[in-house]
Amino acid sequence: MFDRDIWQEIIYSIKNNKLRTFLTGFSVGWGIFILVLLLASVNGMQNGFYLQFNDDATNSIFVRSGSTTKAYGGFEANRKIQFKNNDIDYIRKSFPEDLEYISARYYANTTARYKSETGSYSVQAVEPEYQIIEKTIVTDGRYININDLVSKAKVAVIGRKVKEDLFDTEDAIGKFVEFNGLPFRVIGIFTDDGDDNAERSIYAPLSTYQSIYGNTDYIDNIALTYNPNYDLTKALSFSNRLENLFKRRYKVSPEDQSGIRVWNYAEAFSDISSFTSVLNAIGIVVGLLILIAGIVGIGNIMVFTVKERTKEIGIRKALGAEPGQIIKLVILESVFITAMSGFIGLFFAWIILAIVGPNIQSPAFANPSVDFSTVFTATIILVVAGVFAGLIPAMKAANIKPIVALRDK
Amino acid sequence: MIEIKDLHKSYKMGSNALHVLKGINFSVEEGELVAIMGSSGSGKSTLLNILGMLDELDEGSYTLDGVPIKNLNETKAAQYRNKFLGFIFQSFNLINYKSAAENVALPLYYQKVGRKERHDKALKYLEQVGLKQWSSHLPSELSGGQKQRVAIARAMAAEPKVLLADEPTGALDSKTSYEVMDLIQKINDAGNTILIVTHEPDIADMCKRIVHLKDGVIVEDKVIDQVRAQQYV
Ligand SMILES: Nc1ncnc2c1ncn2[C@@H]1O[C@H](COP(=O)(O)OP(=O)(O)OP(=O)(O)O)[C@@H](O)[C@H]1O
Ligand SMILES: [Mg+2]
Repeated sequence: MFDRDIWQEIIYSIKNNKLRTFLTGFSVGWGIFILVLLLASVNGMQNGFYLQFNDDATNSIFVRSGSTTKAYGGFEANRKIQFKNNDIDYIRKSFPEDLEYISARYYANTTARYKSETGSYSVQAVEPEYQIIEKTIVTDGRYININDLVSKAKVAVIGRKVKEDLFDTEDAIGKFVEFNGLPFRVIGIFTDDGDDNAERSIYAPLSTYQSIYGNTDYIDNIALTYNPNYDLTKALSFSNRLENLFKRRYKVSPEDQSGIRVWNYAEAFSDISSFTSVLNAIGIVVGLLILIAGIVGIGNIMVFTVKERTKEIGIRKALGAEPGQIIKLVILESVFITAMSGFIGLFFAWIILAIVGPNIQSPAFANPSVDFSTVFTATIILVVAGVFAGLIPAMKAANIKPIVALRDK
Repeated sequence: MIEIKDLHKSYKMGSNALHVLKGINFSVEEGELVAIMGSSGSGKSTLLNILGMLDELDEGSYTLDGVPIKNLNETKAAQYRNKFLGFIFQSFNLINYKSAAENVALPLYYQKVGRKERHDKALKYLEQVGLKQWSSHLPSELSGGQKQRVAIARAMAAEPKVLLADEPTGALDSKTSYEVMDLIQKINDAGNTILIVTHEPDIADMCKRIVHLKDGVIVEDKVIDQVRAQQYV
């Protein structure tokens, strides 16, 4: 393998066929180049999707209510389903194994005022565990805690944009802001990278808002996360059980998709994963097809090389070269050309990705790159391809009869 | 050293066969220097190729140094050629991108001799043929006579039992031919068995025995008094 004589011969052969080697090598390099760029693009799209999703915990489930569309259990259609506080306890009791975190959500809009600044924002009235479900990053102060909930404290965690709007550079923590005329104390400021809109909202304790708006125990919807060790199958089974239970609890037909909706991130995630893996497969197939053209080209050049070197191979055989040694020589040359061209293609693709990648600023496309396993796979493909390309010419070479090759004519 | 019994060989040419060798009985002892003569097409090269295991016989038997040469696969034939035989061709058949020393070392490479030892041995044999100072030259930088001497060094390098030469002087002028014959005689003097196919009577006279082929059979086989080539160079 690392025999100097073999390499000397390979280099001689390549030197003697520079243009031909270049042209066929180019096609392999091009194949790998396209393959890598395609895979990197798919990877970029995948990263883009995940970034968009990553806002929330990937093991989260949202339970929403609406109006029924089917008559069921003695009720007419078009009945509005309303969740209440005790639904939370009910879930906690029913799924102690499956549940990780849970929070009710109650939505409101508010006009907020601080000194002379005012602004209109959406308020999400939630429970403390919601911070983990939504992966909210509190940069200053703290999030809503259980005491706030018990005491129905008028406190608020405001988004970075809200803080900028109302306070500008002034320190906001501990200050009072009027929400529709009621004073709320700012206890924290949160950020959400990549999403300015999310930073234009406000978190407040659920109980506080429920008491302000008519002393109800109504909630708009329920957010929860399930056991993080669950795989997709377990996650889906859990969300199905949850859905069935809630439909029974509220007497909604199992076929009714709008009375109660359970939305599972894992499911959406798996849809996207299968979408990107289809893209991946397309990328691989297209790249491989281009690569095959290159391999055929290399096989071709090797046939020529062998033909041109018929006499030399005859001499070697007369001197004692075994067919196996001749095959090795041809295949090594083929692998060498294939691998070199492939790596050059890989290198250029890598350069392009390094230059272009960081400059792409699109929510659907992020950090296109080739990882080590792609490079590793490409290397294996190239070596195997080289062997295949060299196989037929090598057999041809091995079958050369020295007596025919040496005939003086 | 060589023992051939009732050897037949024909070439198929479409529907009919050309019967080239029609029952050759022939043996060569160790240390002989044999010339094979005959008119063009009489089957000299065919015989030599069979002896060299480059071609297969149809009928009869061939024993080389006590080893029956029969039904060899390609790999085995290659190994036997490498171990038993050295070839010298009319057109030298050096590899054009390898230096003289690398050419000479090639059979040793196929014997899996290490690089350093190969080179040393190649230089030793190049010295024997008087070309040590040309060792790093490419064949294209050598004259015909020099090329043939490199080829002889290469044939010798693997220390074969028999040297087979098909018209080794065929492409050389007479003075150079005699130089090559002088070298061959010296190699033979050292005890090597050599077979030479030649057209030229003066070259044949420099051997120790002449075998005459005609129409695929040996018509004459005589031991002669060797003419030394030394006097002509
Ligand atoms: N591979 C082959 N296929 C068919 N016919 C062949 C083949 N090799 C040789 N012959 C024929 O066999 C006969 C003997 O050929 P060979 O080469 O042995 O002659 P030769 O005595 O060496 O002649 P020359 O002195 O011209 O070299 C010739 O008629 C030749 O045409
Ligand atoms: Mg001949």
